[in-house]
Amino acid sequence: MTPVISATALGRRYRDQAALEDVSLAVEPGTVTGLLGRNGAGKTTLMRIVAGQEFPTSGTIRVFGEAPAENEAVLRRMVFVREEQSYPDFRVSNAIEVASWFYPNWDRELAQQLLADFDIPPQRRIRKLSRGMRSAVGIVIGLAARAELTVFDEPYAGLDAVARQLFYDRLLADFAEHPRTVVLSTHLIDEVADLLEHVVMLDSGRVVLDAPADDVRGTAMTVSGPATAVEEFVAGRAVWHRQRLGARASVTVAGPLDFAAQARARALHLSLEPLSLQQLLVHASGNSADEKVSA
Amino acid sequence: MKTLVNVARYHLVDRTSYVWLPWAILAVSFLVNLCITSVLPSPQGDYTGGLVTIYIFLLICGALSMTRALPFGLMLGLSRRSYYLGTALLIVALGVVYGLALTVLQAVERATGGWGTGLHFFRVPWIMDGPWYQTWLTSFVLLVLFFLYGMWYGLVYRRWNVVGLVAFVAAQVLAALVVIVAVSTTNNWAATGHFFTTLTAPALTGVLAAVAAAMGLGGLTTIRRVTV
Repeated sequence: MTPVISATALGRRYRDQAALEDVSLAVEPGTVTGLLGRNGAGKTTLMRIVAGQEFPTSGTIRVFGEAPAENEAVLRRMVFVREEQSYPDFRVSNAIEVASWFYPNWDRELAQQLLADFDIPPQRRIRKLSRGMRSAVGIVIGLAARAELTVFDEPYAGLDAVARQLFYDRLLADFAEHPRTVVLSTHLIDEVADLLEHVVMLDSGRVVLDAPADDVRGTAMTVSGPATAVEEFVAGRAVWHRQRLGARASVTVAGPLDFAAQARARALHLSLEPLSLQQLLVHASGNSADEKVSA
Repeated sequence: MKTLVNVARYHLVDRTSYVWLPWAILAVSFLVNLCITSVLPSPQGDYTGGLVTIYIFLLICGALSMTRALPFGLMLGLSRRSYYLGTALLIVALGVVYGLALTVLQAVERATGGWGTGLHFFRVPWIMDGPWYQTWLTSFVLLVLFFLYGMWYGLVYRRWNVVGLVAFVAAQVLAALVVIVAVSTTNNWAATGHFFTTLTAPALTGVLAAVAAAMGLGGLTTIRRVTV
């Protein structure tokens, strides 16, 4: 199957700064892909290029097999909801109405339902809404558009935990009924970890990880227990991180661990814990933050 | 075409900017002028430049259509080209209607002897003083011209910010300067004056239409690489 998005050696430079460098990736149809990375890692730039809003300085981008920039055959099939989308001086109902003219698969009922779910007053002017409410308007448009490719770039600035959960639930529910390709960028990684089938991680404009989420989850384990037992267990393994507190130690090693290793850990009374996606991100992005913690 | 019509409808959601405000501002300008001429009547009739307010306001609307309304426009799966052409379609439609309204108002002004005070508000000597169809056509061309010019300003701002805007104005001043110097050094002022004094009103409308087309081309070229 042709990938929905495919990037080859994609680069974007702003003066002397490289926002994206040699990015190659493919997003398969019908998957939910998480685009992860720290602030300034290049997530937004990549998504804007996908949506034809920004132009690459090198490499190629294909969406549905074609270049997206100025290509309505492609743009018509996608919706891009960005963080802090700016609107004209509109009422919420105006924005929803206008969006319904342009998206071929627009679901009017779903839009009304979502407005009610998020408690957005339709007659309110968008600029008078709170930051979270404004984000919710983008989410409503992004979901109700039912576009074949749905791209969310940190769509929940200012949304509280309850509203975010509502977003994840609605996204999953509608995705199950109307399968499509979803790309979601975020740094609230643990919140969305269960949603993701594929993970792409950017760091300083480069892809540092591109793998199925299930493969990623087993890539590292934290072993903790009495220091001597821990050291005995991890001997000969690739150690990512080491932390000691008195007689106890906690060491992160590259996984996955086979049955024999797991049995041995139990025999040594060690606890094993897989690293969460979020912790993996910290390690994958040069773990500068982590070093500070352990220093 | 359906897409372009929808772009025009998108802009028209903001009725205030595109429909009510241009006429409200023109009405204020008109009333101020009417008050002045009724208090200070002059025997030759009063000529004012008050009509220019509607054109200036449309220039501002043009700029806003390419700045404030653009990001959401591009969120809607539109190409920049469609967005530009749809907006141009809007002003062509508005220009036809508004031009006709200005023509009607001019006819009323003429019939009432300048609203009873000798005011020449909708009648502008030479350029807008001919038969009704000519007034309609010239008004239409001017409305479109000003709006497209405003759109170009908006796009230059979107693409190169304030520095670009300053450079854009400077470039226009420079171009005008080059023309003035060229005409002066070749001693062609007399010929230039002759050209304009013999230029008929319809020919002038033609020249303005050519300028409007140039503005459109400039804007369309500028929007190609605008990012949001």
